[in-house]
Amino acid sequence: MSKFEPTIVAFFCNWCTYTAADLAGTSRLSYPPNIKIIRMMCSGMVDPKYVIKALLEGADGVIVSGCNPGDCHYINGNYKARRRIKLLKEILSRFGFEPERLRLTWIAASDGVLLAEIMQKMVEQIKALGPSQAKMKMVI
Amino acid sequence: MAQKTGKAMVVGAGISGIRAALDLAETGYGVTLIDRAPHIGGILSQLDNQFPTNHCGMCKMLPLIERDQSSQFCLRKGLFHENIDIMLNTQIIDVDGEPGKFSVALQTKPTWVDPEQCMGCGACVDVCPVDVPDEFNEGLSMRKAIYLPVPHNIPNTYVIDTAACTNCRECEKACPTEAIQLAFEKRKVFDILVVDDELIVRDSLKEWLSEDGFSVETASSGPDALKKLAQKRFNLMLTDIKMPGMDGVTLLTKALETDPELCVLMMTAYATVETAVEAMKIGARDYLMKPFDPEKMLAKVVELYEARESGNLTTLDVGSLVFCGGTEYYNPASGKNVYGYGDVPHVVTNLELERIFSGTGPSKGFLTRPLDGKPIEKIAWLQCVGSRDLQCDADFCSSVCCMIAIKEALLAKELGGAHVDTILYYMDMRSYGKSFQRYRDAAESEHHVKFERARVHTVSSDSITGDPVIRYVRTDGSIQKETFDLVVLSVGQRPSPGNQQISTLMDVPLNHWGFVETEPFSPAVTEKAGVVVGGSFSGLKDISESVIHASAAAIEASRVMHATGGSLAVEPESESELRDVAREDPRILVAVCTCRGSLLTQDDADRWSHRLARDPVVERVVFLEQGCTKTGWEELMATARETAVNRVLLAACQPYLFINNLKEMSRELLLDPALLDVVDIRLPRQSPSVESLPNATAGDSPENAGLEPRDLHDDDQQFSAIAMTLSRLKNADPLPMAFLENHRQALVVGGGIAGMYASLAIADHGFPVALVEREETLGGNLAWLNHTIEGHSMTAQLEETLQKVENHPLVDVHPGSTITASFGEVGDFYTTVTDAVGASRTIQHATVILATGGSEAGTQSYGYGDHPAVITQKELESRLGKAEFETDDLRSVVMIQCVDSREEPRNYCSRVCCPTSLKHALKLKEIDPGIAVYILYRDMMTPGFVERYFTKAREKGIFFIQYDPDNKPGLVMPAASQDPLYVSIVDPLLDRLLEIRADLLVLATGIVPQLPPGLAALFGAQIDQDGFFQEADAKWRPVDALKEGVFACGIALSPRSVPDAVASAQAAAQHSLKILSRKRLPAGKIVSTVRDSICSRCERCVDTCPYGARSLDINNDRILVNPVMCQGCGDCAAVCPNGAALVQGFVDRQVLDMIDAALN
Repeated sequence: MSKFEPTIVAFFCNWCTYTAADLAGTSRLSYPPNIKIIRMMCSGMVDPKYVIKALLEGADGVIVSGCNPGDCHYINGNYKARRRIKLLKEILSRFGFEPERLRLTWIAASDGVLLAEIMQKMVEQIKALGPSQAKMKMVI
Repeated sequence: MAQKTGKAMVVGAGISGIRAALDLAETGYGVTLIDRAPHIGGILSQLDNQFPTNHCGMCKMLPLIERDQSSQFCLRKGLFHENIDIMLNTQIIDVDGEPGKFSVALQTKPTWVDPEQCMGCGACVDVCPVDVPDEFNEGLSMRKAIYLPVPHNIPNTYVIDTAACTNCRECEKACPTEAIQLAFEKRKVFDILVVDDELIVRDSLKEWLSEDGFSVETASSGPDALKKLAQKRFNLMLTDIKMPGMDGVTLLTKALETDPELCVLMMTAYATVETAVEAMKIGARDYLMKPFDPEKMLAKVVELYEARESGNLTTLDVGSLVFCGGTEYYNPASGKNVYGYGDVPHVVTNLELERIFSGTGPSKGFLTRPLDGKPIEKIAWLQCVGSRDLQCDADFCSSVCCMIAIKEALLAKELGGAHVDTILYYMDMRSYGKSFQRYRDAAESEHHVKFERARVHTVSSDSITGDPVIRYVRTDGSIQKETFDLVVLSVGQRPSPGNQQISTLMDVPLNHWGFVETEPFSPAVTEKAGVVVGGSFSGLKDISESVIHASAAAIEASRVMHATGGSLAVEPESESELRDVAREDPRILVAVCTCRGSLLTQDDADRWSHRLARDPVVERVVFLEQGCTKTGWEELMATARETAVNRVLLAACQPYLFINNLKEMSRELLLDPALLDVVDIRLPRQSPSVESLPNATAGDSPENAGLEPRDLHDDDQQFSAIAMTLSRLKNADPLPMAFLENHRQALVVGGGIAGMYASLAIADHGFPVALVEREETLGGNLAWLNHTIEGHSMTAQLEETLQKVENHPLVDVHPGSTITASFGEVGDFYTTVTDAVGASRTIQHATVILATGGSEAGTQSYGYGDHPAVITQKELESRLGKAEFETDDLRSVVMIQCVDSREEPRNYCSRVCCPTSLKHALKLKEIDPGIAVYILYRDMMTPGFVERYFTKAREKGIFFIQYDPDNKPGLVMPAASQDPLYVSIVDPLLDRLLEIRADLLVLATGIVPQLPPGLAALFGAQIDQDGFFQEADAKWRPVDALKEGVFACGIALSPRSVPDAVASAQAAAQHSLKILSRKRLPAGKIVSTVRDSICSRCERCVDTCPYGARSLDINNDRILVNPVMCQGCGDCAAVCPNGAALVQGFVDRQVLDMIDAALN
């Protein structure tokens, strides 16, 4: 178990969080290699099925991150994401996943440090939770 | 694709410079945007959080129409636009010519780091031995002599601070790509002649300059110097002005006769500064004030040396010049330094506090003191430091510091927790802008920010803890002492050095404080034709005003170019037909740049080749030595042509370097740009074991530099990045670019000053305008206003504008008419205008500007209507305008400010009432100094240079008595209406109830909007809770509605003065021109579409679309998307229950495949 390195799929909005990830890179801040970043135009574009697909395909965690409330490049996409993710968390357990495997955050463009910190914490959290059972169940 | 038909230059790449440049570029002009700094963004690159969201949102300024012309990512990161050339480290040396044809000489400072070679690895930083204060963090942290000016900028090139560099050349050796070329030894051939009659000056200068590598000779007098100049050619002469025999100016004249190229620096004592300025007119390059700081002297010499060395003198011909030079900020250590800035620890400026908040700042985003790391739990803000202070000749308000302080207090609470104690010490809380008052009230009532009306007189240090201690006097006279963790000085504006330069170069007048003086009714133009200014250059402005004024400047510049023949029309380039690959199987060329082994080793390459080839869509895999070089690119192009692939994926670093290359590739291979992609494989080295993050920062971990041979893990990350992009690319199915018809006419609703200015600005560019006015005559509020507080006649201004409107062949005025119906979308609106007799006409137009204005609010307070002595400011204005104004019975006039305003339900400041009351009070005093005038106010709102009239009013003996909303003035109504009226008020300074006789009681009731909700709704615009136009974004898009093509200006936006209304009108016109200037409206690449066959017409997408781009076509029973209005946010795709709403580039197949690729 100690060797478990979780895989986390991250849906980052093109405007804020993706920039923060860039900034973390240029500032040479380290964050875990377990994060697979998928750039979306907006956090409001993240269809719940993408999250479920990622978890079913074996991701140990999913993180969706957009602009801070009020800052969405597309006016209010992040608010829509917030509602959607909240509902999704409610039903996630019916798919056999702990709701903690899904996280929604707001990370502004200049928050490279925050991004690295959140990613680090997410990895720790998922490590504590253990590997996702999805793949194992599917094999059975 | 725009054809550049006119050229403009924007000087200063701060927020207003960016706005002006984008505005001009979007209307089809070629723009050169220059800045002396090595980055764009100006002061905003340092500010992460802005009012009112307390975050960012700058990207909302990016183009919405034809948005793929510009970069589509965070604007704080960088800006690319097809029509904008950005020149950094560059300043203007000289300007020749006239409006319409200026010849501008520019000088670019060399950075000694080749931006094309530098890959931002930071190896140089690790070896640099120099530590200097980092100006990006306001000196709160240290940086190296080689550094990134802004951490998140692209191009992300390091620059060398040559003044700090010790020439150890370690960085040169450390650089893996040989990007650094110091060329320090060349300084030896830069000959300097020092002329001074004092030996000590000569010797010390020689010593300092020689130490820095220059060759120095000295001369003790003018004739001696001339002799030396005759013998040998010097590059630079430093000469004293006052010398016995021949003075410096004579020497300068003679020396320039022999060598006109000679660069001369004058050295002067304070007394002869004027002579030095004269000398600059003769041909001296600059002057140094004695006694000088060797560092500053060296910096100047190095600057001149670099200018010569770089040879980067460019001359550009432009039609127009827009100056957006921004402002400087008051240095609180200058003058008497009463607040001990620099001496008392933990006393910082508001700018420094912004850096403390920032994640890229000295405290890494934690609310701790930079000096000792102590958590900050109690903060004091001292307002008006260097503003509203006659002792430092600052008889002006800096306009923005009050709101900055409130915002900072809220941020401190957000960052440190609600328990953080925040107190603002202020004189007047100037919350005069739109939504400012409610923000201030919420800060006080919801977030418990404390406001204390007091001027702090002393800041000292606690002898034990070192914490700063402030002492101040309350309004009740008691002396208070309080200790804080941090004391913040809200420093005011000072003119930027650019002001003086522009004034000298362009002969533009400056005001008393050294800011550019603009025309009274056109704040973007100066007395000098063709010189336009935007943003804070003519006085500090907040973001929304800066961008409004920048757009106003852009349209004025555009006018100059248009009038002198620079056409504005954007002609679509005859694009060759792109290949339709929809029915072909994807065949992809994958090109991987190895960057000479630094990105990928040969072993990796072999393995990758094998792995990639497993995917049948991969036609060929090639490895390039360096894709960013010309040879590398040609190799790639050759392979692409030879294999005739239909998609290309390039894996390299710094994707933005390939923006232009990809466009060229798209044209040559006839492939849609969506079929070509670059993926960044220089991934940050990620390590699973990071001990404590806040301390793991740049420079700490050289082992992370990312250049050592990579282990398998890294390689996996890179491969996964490629695989994911590959999944997106193979499923890309771009649609042909859509264009919509554009009926190039504008509609302006409201014929006040704003509506008229907007109409004229558009019509002057050759587009017809329909101007609809409800009343029979144009003019709006200007019809009853006499003059501005500065004394400019509004009547004359109105006459002039009316004539222009009436005589303009392209402005079609519809007086006495109203809008009765409207439908349609940008480029294609149909609006019915009905006149007084009921005759209707339908106008087809592309854009609409709502300039419906506002009027003085009615009131029932303070006995208005019950007593003849109670009038409003508007009534006083018209009485004062009459020649027979009688003052005989007028011994005492009382004015009450904020009547029914700045409290619910009209909880906003109307902004014009304080200046109006001052104007009238001063006028009364002018007519008869014997009249006693009392102004009862809550906060005097005299932002900017209007402050001086507040000072003047107090000098003239006008009484000001402050009151609070919970203790308003009372009224003692007489029994008979001919008996005098008395106003009672508690004077907080005397702490006594006063009863003041009011022969005239003048009420400032504020402004209410006249934007009928029905009218706004017709055009799809929204109104805010007070009835004003709801802008798309308070800061970044202040004149736009969310619905494309709908704009507003003047008082319809929020209460504003005549010059501000004019600026907003010009901004609205400018934004309108972006649409009008196109024959057809182009859509973006990432837009949504509908798969009709599986669409169930549930209309959820119509409801969710924030841009109103989707609608149900009842006739054909299908959902329509307006591709120009659609911005590609993907809300519709996420909400669609059937997967019938698609966003190009992000269709399900692409995203789902990317998830697969990420997990495999």
